[in-house]
Amino acid sequence: MEILSREIKPEDAASPVDQLVKLTVRDLEKLPPPYDKPGMEPELTDPKPEWKEKYATDLDGYIAIDLPWKPKNKEEEERLIKSFLNGLNKLLTKEGNWTFLQPLLLSLEYCAKCQTCSNACPIYIMSGKQEVYKPTWRAEILRRIWKKYCTPAGKIFGKFVSGDIELNAKTLMRLAESAYRCTLCRRCTQTCPIGVDNGLISHEIRKLFSQEMGIAPKALHELGTVQHLKVGSSTGLTPDGVKDIIEFIEDDIEDKIGKRIKIPVDEKGADILLIHNAGEFLSWPENPAAFAILFEEAGISWTLSSEQVAYDAVNYGVWYDDLQLARIAAKHAEIANKLEVNKIVVGECGHAHKAITVIADRVLHDDIWIPRESCMPILWEIVKKEKINFDPEKNNFPVTLHDPCNMVRLMGVVEPQRKILRKLAPQFREMEPHGVYNYCCGGGSGFAIMQSMNFPEWRNAVATRMKFKQVLEAFKDCLDPSINKYICAPCSNCKGAIRDMLSYYQASERLSIYYGGLVELMVNAMVDLEEPFVEWEFH
Amino acid sequence: MPISALMALSYAAFAIFVIVVASKWVKWSSMPMHLRWELYPVPHEAGRNQYGGSYIEEVDYWKKPRETTLAGELKDMFSEMLFIKRVYEYKRPLWWLTYPFHAGIYLILAWFFLLFVHGILSVYISIPVLAKVVYYLIQICGTIGIIAATLGCIGLIIRRFSDKDMLNYTAGVEIFNLFFILIVLLTGIATWITYDPNFQHAMEFMKALVAFNSAYLPKLTTIAEVHVILLCLLWIYIPFTKMSHFIGKYFTFHKVLWDDELNVPGSKVEAKVRELTRLPMPWSAPHVDTGKSWDENALENPKDEWGRWKY
Ligand code: SF4
Ligand code: SF4
Repeated sequence: MEILSREIKPEDAASPVDQLVKLTVRDLEKLPPPYDKPGMEPELTDPKPEWKEKYATDLDGYIAIDLPWKPKNKEEEERLIKSFLNGLNKLLTKEGNWTFLQPLLLSLEYCAKCQTCSNACPIYIMSGKQEVYKPTWRAEILRRIWKKYCTPAGKIFGKFVSGDIELNAKTLMRLAESAYRCTLCRRCTQTCPIGVDNGLISHEIRKLFSQEMGIAPKALHELGTVQHLKVGSSTGLTPDGVKDIIEFIEDDIEDKIGKRIKIPVDEKGADILLIHNAGEFLSWPENPAAFAILFEEAGISWTLSSEQVAYDAVNYGVWYDDLQLARIAAKHAEIANKLEVNKIVVGECGHAHKAITVIADRVLHDDIWIPRESCMPILWEIVKKEKINFDPEKNNFPVTLHDPCNMVRLMGVVEPQRKILRKLAPQFREMEPHGVYNYCCGGGSGFAIMQSMNFPEWRNAVATRMKFKQVLEAFKDCLDPSINKYICAPCSNCKGAIRDMLSYYQASERLSIYYGGLVELMVNAMVDLEEPFVEWEFH
Repeated sequence: MPISALMALSYAAFAIFVIVVASKWVKWSSMPMHLRWELYPVPHEAGRNQYGGSYIEEVDYWKKPRETTLAGELKDMFSEMLFIKRVYEYKRPLWWLTYPFHAGIYLILAWFFLLFVHGILSVYISIPVLAKVVYYLIQICGTIGIIAATLGCIGLIIRRFSDKDMLNYTAGVEIFNLFFILIVLLTGIATWITYDPNFQHAMEFMKALVAFNSAYLPKLTTIAEVHVILLCLLWIYIPFTKMSHFIGKYFTFHKVLWDDELNVPGSKVEAKVRELTRLPMPWSAPHVDTGKSWDENALENPKDEWGRWKY
């Protein structure tokens, strides 16, 4: 396999080589003890030779877009380029992109190429500073194409103004794939002196491919938003399925707390419509169970919905397609209004928080407007107002908090969850950095659910690497496997990424590091509970 | 006395600068409202900006009055504008070059303003004490400004060429811009040293401009003339280029990263959303109903034969 054996520049996106880079474990940034020794993590693999025929392995050998979209001949290549340029032009119009036109153009226009942002990116840093993961690399490729093909100065003065770029199939395949090597965490944006947003540029590249050509990872589109709208949930869970699971959760609660709780479903006129990420029902039913216990004990008027779309809070559109975002957000609001609730409250799911509360704030209007809020302030009120009796001693084990980017950096819900942990977890310790300067779990922007081909390997080895480093550092005083440790991750996707991370690095077996949500810890601290709610087993 | 060619060029440069900057401002401010895309910390969040919190941390936040702080916003704005805080925090070695450069330019802009005030004081209103103060300030701003900006500019050019991370991303025009500024600064230094050590002639030049009278014009040496011409060309050129990032920076921060204005029923935001979602969607992917509005696409999604949403 031919790779580029010299330093990589933005114009190398067009290079005819098979792959621009090939990663090995030795290239990656070192992890803290005990992972500083060789053999503590798996070697990285090559893509299967047959994948190269159909899929875009041309960037780094990994495949995020699991569609066979590689052009087979010159005509297909030309068609691809033409569609791309059509899409790019639409991205620059009010009709096509009122949603992000101003932020996009500002970011294309004003980058000073100072590279202040690079060191903020966990993926770039932990990859051992691979050029193709630098926040500015993909942004500069799009910028050069935009300048060259869409601006008068670029058309007149060419390379002198736009910089060097050739537009061919390789360029586009690498550009599209590289938009899926960024978790849209926007940590880079925080450091930019001009406010240029490289995360947004990744988002816009993804949109261009999806909205114009229907090119997006299956997990996000076909099995994600489309399945969500068609079947009811991106997990494939149907309305009947969710009702069955809710019954099972009621049984489970009874087993655990010795008391039956009737979980309200489709109750008209409740104060709150609580929407969980449906992944919770399937992978972590203890999370909706804990919500039910807390809300019932605190006397909150609430309901779940069993209507298609509304029992799944996710909105993958927020990562790659504005129309799909609008469709799902509108459906959520419509169903909530039909239930005559006062507001939607989002459970522990970061991107769902941001999608419906913040981003969709300028999608919903008139009949489809409804108040939406995070579950965190309500949970903090339960603790602050002492609506339930808690005994923090029940949580006397090391706990650290992972901040979901969407909830924290991107919508400013920072303190309620920490206040709860400061009260209820005596051994709570922060990761560094934390709060709005946190690092992404590596599962952001859809990565947590993108499980096909070799993408999980890249996610675990590169994207979640910084989070793993932070976790090891947060627990460095208690790495002894006889001490159970808890990563509190109040977000389903983050939990998914952390679960895969712990499994990849075998950290639960080796170091007894476990993970879970926030409500589980709250219930675990309830005085009324005889048995611990948190179970120390990896799942 | 009629105005001279150099005076005409100076007026034209200033006018073009103002007009182009204003039109860019209008262009950016008349762009459609975008989806919310704020990034925390948002400095106007009263009581929460220290840790990056937002009003969404409150139960029923949409019912409660918003508490904002202008002081928080100004503090962040000025620390970025005057001290280039983010580069200081995140890329210190570059800050040692970019800061003298930018601070030098600010001082040169202050110098222009002081020359203007001095011109007014010598043509229209006489306040000798103030004129004296202004005179000394001109010496201070001019001297420090041009030295700092020139050293910073040379440093930035060296860094741009020696730092592969920066060079590989730099287009020819960006190098040209730096050299253009450097040449203007160097001709300025040459003029200052060889011809105008106390900025006396600069004051006279400005006096002529303020009075619209070339009788006040000093006799310029060739290097001084070259400097004035290049300086005017730079003034004309800047607003057409990325060097006018001071405009962009206002919008990136105020209108994107700090824009957390809430949409509630009956609000201006809602009216804009209503209007924008009526726009036809031009996109061509299979899941888009091309030509139908955003609202129609989002709300009246085509159904399949089972009555289920198609996309
Ligand atoms: S995005 Fe900002 S920080 Fe990064 S290179 Fe461009 S101007 Fe510099
Ligand atoms: S948004 Fe996050 S992942 Fe993407 S380039 Fe910026 S820092 Fe890196």
